[in-house]
Amino acid sequence: MKVIGFNLCKFGNIIGALLLVPIIVAVFYKEFDIIPHFLIASSATFILCNVGIHFLRTTKEMELKHALCFAALTWIFCMLLAAIPFWSTGSTGSYLDANFDAMSGFTTTGLSLVRDIDHLPYSINFYRHFLQFVGGVGIIVFSLTILARSEMSSVLAFKGEARELGIRPSIVRTSRIILGIAITFMVLGAVLFTAVGISEGAGVGTSIFDGVNYSMAAYSTGGFAPHSQNMLFYHSTPYEVVALAIFLIGSFNFTFHYAVLGGKRREIFKNIEIRTMFITLTLSTLVISGLLLFSNVYSSSAMLFRKAFFQAASAHTTTGFGTVHPAQIPSLWGSAVMFIMSLIMVLGACANSTGGGIKAIRVGVIAKSFFREIKKALMPKTAWVTEKFHHIETTPLTDTIARGAMLIAVGYIFLFAVGTTVTVLHGYNTSDSMYETASAVGNVGLSSGITSPAMPALLKVTYIFLMWAGRLEIMAVLALMGFAILGLRRGIKK
Amino acid sequence: MGLRKFSLREFLKKNFDFITGILSEVGLTALIMGVALAICLLLVFIKSVF
Amino acid sequence: MSWKVCFLAPLLLLLMAPLAEAESGKALIENSAGFNDKAVTFGGEVIGVVVRGDFAWVNVLDNGVAIGVWCRAEEARKVSIIGDYKHVGDAVEVVGTFHMACPEHGGDLDIHADNFTVVAAGRELDRSPSLLLVGLSVAFVAAAIFVAFSLRRIRKEKEKIVPWPFQ
Repeated sequence: MKVIGFNLCKFGNIIGALLLVPIIVAVFYKEFDIIPHFLIASSATFILCNVGIHFLRTTKEMELKHALCFAALTWIFCMLLAAIPFWSTGSTGSYLDANFDAMSGFTTTGLSLVRDIDHLPYSINFYRHFLQFVGGVGIIVFSLTILARSEMSSVLAFKGEARELGIRPSIVRTSRIILGIAITFMVLGAVLFTAVGISEGAGVGTSIFDGVNYSMAAYSTGGFAPHSQNMLFYHSTPYEVVALAIFLIGSFNFTFHYAVLGGKRREIFKNIEIRTMFITLTLSTLVISGLLLFSNVYSSSAMLFRKAFFQAASAHTTTGFGTVHPAQIPSLWGSAVMFIMSLIMVLGACANSTGGGIKAIRVGVIAKSFFREIKKALMPKTAWVTEKFHHIETTPLTDTIARGAMLIAVGYIFLFAVGTTVTVLHGYNTSDSMYETASAVGNVGLSSGITSPAMPALLKVTYIFLMWAGRLEIMAVLALMGFAILGLRRGIKK
Repeated sequence: MGLRKFSLREFLKKNFDFITGILSEVGLTALIMGVALAICLLLVFIKSVF
Repeated sequence: MSWKVCFLAPLLLLLMAPLAEAESGKALIENSAGFNDKAVTFGGEVIGVVVRGDFAWVNVLDNGVAIGVWCRAEEARKVSIIGDYKHVGDAVEVVGTFHMACPEHGGDLDIHADNFTVVAAGRELDRSPSLLLVGLSVAFVAAAIFVAFSLRRIRKEKEKIVPWPFQ
């Protein structure tokens, strides 16, 4: 417990420092009434964490079991601290709502309970998107350095290291590379969004502010937007194309980025995740567009591209940007399309990326496992059937990898079932409930209208749990529960 | 003062893989969008014929 | 003759009357199919203006629902204040054709304005900082600095007696 607590408090100081960043924006926009809120939140964090570090100081290194619990608790700890400015400025109705948005930000989900986005202080609006960028980078670090060491995860570890390092040194080294790549694409996105915004007729100031925020949300596949209309504010195809490019890039595996940016461009065509996502995205676009076209909702290819494909890509990459009003989804698109959208939301983006869901590598591995079993059934009993997949390097598909992938997939489906049941029990219809739950579990952010400040409190807590568990791919949550149960048992025995 | 002159050619040479890598990834997203657009056009064509 | 006037006049007045009262944004979105291609009256606060050549998009917010209004650029230039944290935007009333998926604008839900009126000018909001909050923030910052330095001093004194990592 001490080693976890000590590391949590050390990490908390990072959050304390991050809470000071929006002050720069507040000063620029002369929001002097907002600055005290960030100063109080930051100072309170520093006080709490420094006292914690002092009393919990230890030289013990974290083992994997500690690291998993640490990762799980970090998200909760960060949520509680990051929620303070949302609540104290009145941007959300209650501290629970503030926690909802903080968790949604850190887990790059994008569901929001903020009241009146269009009249939010610029600094708070920036803060929301900044949380998503930090959360997106953070999850890549976590999945590459902690999660990948667990046999069950089947998410292959970052092979950029020449030798196997302990957890802490590899976190530091890997973080630097991840941050470098993230900032590169974020800056590229900000420049493109700003240029397109100005050329499409928005003011320079608005374009720059929106450009930075949309880029942070796009690369982190977060889905927060500086306006209540989300992508519809600009009514612009070029703007949506830039968004598509950035959030598709954000949904790719970090190890894929590292390989391609290091010269291995053939990875683009050979990588199992890219192939899997390409197939599932293409198929879902075909089905969704077909359904919407033949039910006369949309009539031209431009409409299908901007609405059907954009929403499908947004759902599949777990981004959550919308080009359709949420209330139109149930009334106009219908339950068949909503079901397919729910499915692709749960399938998710690539592993080791800012995206959520089951992850493309597991989907690809599960699909290949099925083919392998079918081959086995058709071959003579004495035949030796092997299957392999390419992810940076060619790897044999072992039973361990297949089992790990299926276990995580079952975990997600279980969460999805629980979330849908809880939502339906609150009186919402099944189709909307499935859509909203898939959005929370897959850290997507698209909404059918259920997520609102008027939502029942128990449902808010449920969705906070789903966003958290989905982000941590359930494993870290299970490790934490195991730790807690063991601790309780020891306590009872004493 | 000993400051090196910035040479674009040298910068591009040194960061060739990085820059071409970014262009490749952007190209991949363009390919994905292109395929999606082709699907949309095909569907509209099928509907107009039938 | 007089009975014809009595009968026809109310009918004429009814026909000349302005359209029914403005639809809410919520009603338009939730029943977009029902309002599709119909004339509507919609009103709200301006929260965004994007000028596109001779035309412009004016994003109008009504009770938490924002809809894009496509109008002539000179109409959009009538808007003097756009709503944000420090401002309540101009209140506008739009009479135009509602589209649930506009064929001209790539399937966007929008209103093509025939008539665009600024009903009330926007205003600046008073967002001056609260002295209590400023005082509290100064106190918190001072406390954080004090705690950090105190704990550092305690740790350094401890290290003189028992060097770290042997504590």
